[in-house]
Amino acid sequence: MSTETDNKHWDIFCAVVDNYGDIGVTWRLAKQLAHEYELNIKLWVDDLHSFSHILPELDPSQTSQQFCGVDILRWSSPLDITFVPGSVIIEAFACELPFEVTESLIALKKDNKATPPLWLNLEYLSAEAWVDGCHALPSLQKSGLKKFFFFPGFTDKTGGLICEKSLFSEREQWQATPDNKLALFEQLGLQAIDKNDLCISVFSYETEALAALCELWQDTQKKVHLLIPKGRSLHSLSHLLPIEYELIKPGQHYEYKQLTIHILPMTDQQGFDKLLWSCDINIVRGEDSFLRAQWAARPFIWHIYPQEDDYHLVKLEAFMQVYCDNLAPEIAGHWSALNLAFNQGAQNRVKTLWQHLDSVNRPLLQHAQEWPVNALNDADLASRLVQFVKNS
Amino acid sequence: MKTAHEIRPGNVIMLDGSPWVVQKTETTRSGRNAAIVKMKLKNVLLDSSTETTFKGEDKMDDIILERLDCTYSYFADPMYVFMDAEYNQYDVEAGNLGDASAYIVDGMEEVCQVTFYEGKAISVELPTTIVREVTYTEPSARGDTSGKVMKPATVSGGATLSVADFVKTGDMIEIDTRTGEFKKRV
Repeated sequence: MSTETDNKHWDIFCAVVDNYGDIGVTWRLAKQLAHEYELNIKLWVDDLHSFSHILPELDPSQTSQQFCGVDILRWSSPLDITFVPGSVIIEAFACELPFEVTESLIALKKDNKATPPLWLNLEYLSAEAWVDGCHALPSLQKSGLKKFFFFPGFTDKTGGLICEKSLFSEREQWQATPDNKLALFEQLGLQAIDKNDLCISVFSYETEALAALCELWQDTQKKVHLLIPKGRSLHSLSHLLPIEYELIKPGQHYEYKQLTIHILPMTDQQGFDKLLWSCDINIVRGEDSFLRAQWAARPFIWHIYPQEDDYHLVKLEAFMQVYCDNLAPEIAGHWSALNLAFNQGAQNRVKTLWQHLDSVNRPLLQHAQEWPVNALNDADLASRLVQFVKNS
Repeated sequence: MKTAHEIRPGNVIMLDGSPWVVQKTETTRSGRNAAIVKMKLKNVLLDSSTETTFKGEDKMDDIILERLDCTYSYFADPMYVFMDAEYNQYDVEAGNLGDASAYIVDGMEEVCQVTFYEGKAISVELPTTIVREVTYTEPSARGDTSGKVMKPATVSGGATLSVADFVKTGDMIEIDTRTGEFKKRV
């Protein structure tokens, strides 16, 4: 017989693929489920070292530790912690569950007196129309077990978007006080930024488009500050940097006429949110930072994860259509063209489009401010997930 | 054993001890190049249908049932009638053909495979490639000859698909029945 404690015990499995994306999403979700729904979340992660970049307090050598009310467990192969099933298992982004876990589920299914946990595959976020038709469908397994595909998305037929209940009010409070931005920059060790300068955060993949924009920003009228951590995006600018990449340290800055490149330290997720809230434009990538940039209510460029046959451009197009749905055609066209040019690494085009960004910046900012409430569509992912589990 | 990505309409797969006819497959791409395959399945024993989703690399037993090479003969609502080389006729329920029914046309000569379960014809698998006439498509809007610009078209049998912009009504085109995709003009 399952107890109330068992019902509140959920396991989330995350295989880290690209350092911050998968773990970024699952860590946010785990924290939110623990905090807002008082669930006993066990987050199994196969690469605690990468995880520690966004949770600096984490000790990668420990097999089990707790932060923000979430039990973080090392997912080794074979498991060095005994798996005890709860009421829900989430495999994040279609990761393969450990053998011991699937064996345990099969044993529970064979035992007529026991109910196996509800098994969910949390999928990637996409704005494509097919997501509506695939969300929450069962997936019949050879073993007779059933798992469900849970798709994040932008419509009420999907699983929604990850967003903490208090996020928008916290962001509004932050943005209402301009001094917060400068205080944050100082705290991050960034120097000589005036409140009227243009601040752009960058967390993209490698792209020549970024290098092209840096050329342009050197000669703009307004001072431009590029806030960029060491990593994939900075590799695109290595030709600009006066020292070898390995010698670059957070807090350093390099000036090129009107452009200053500031090297950011890695921050935790709350710090990253505040950075996005504080910049005028954010260049983000993948899924987690992409969504957080939307919640920042500031204009952004999305550098989408590249896929074979340029399929990522289909996904980009689908999102741009959703995002621009009630935006004036000339604004929508300009913003979409800029995003496309950035993703295609089209150097000249991205520069030309940026040069005319000023003309659409005000309505774009207004749209960015209205977007979060519209996109959330009355329910966030965690609440839809909890409801789905209740109804199952 | 096949992956979900390799399963096609007409296959019969074994799940939880039951044989299921695959009536429809739809492959989409999730993040990081991963495929998602949505299938419409019909339980052969219970005569019930369900929609289900798989990861593209999920492995499943494609059960080898008795199969016969047959050609399409005629439609007697709600059954499609197929005939083998010895002129034996086999009735297959229209619902079991799934999307394949949109490629069935009178007089078609392609050899199909009819699958049997306990002596009953339960599904039909079309050849991988078939040729059909385009019964309607809009004239080329841009004069594109590269084959990269696509537009919708309807072919004999009723299937709709995207074809290259240079394709005209009346053209014969080759279609991949596994994906429903246009391959070339013939």
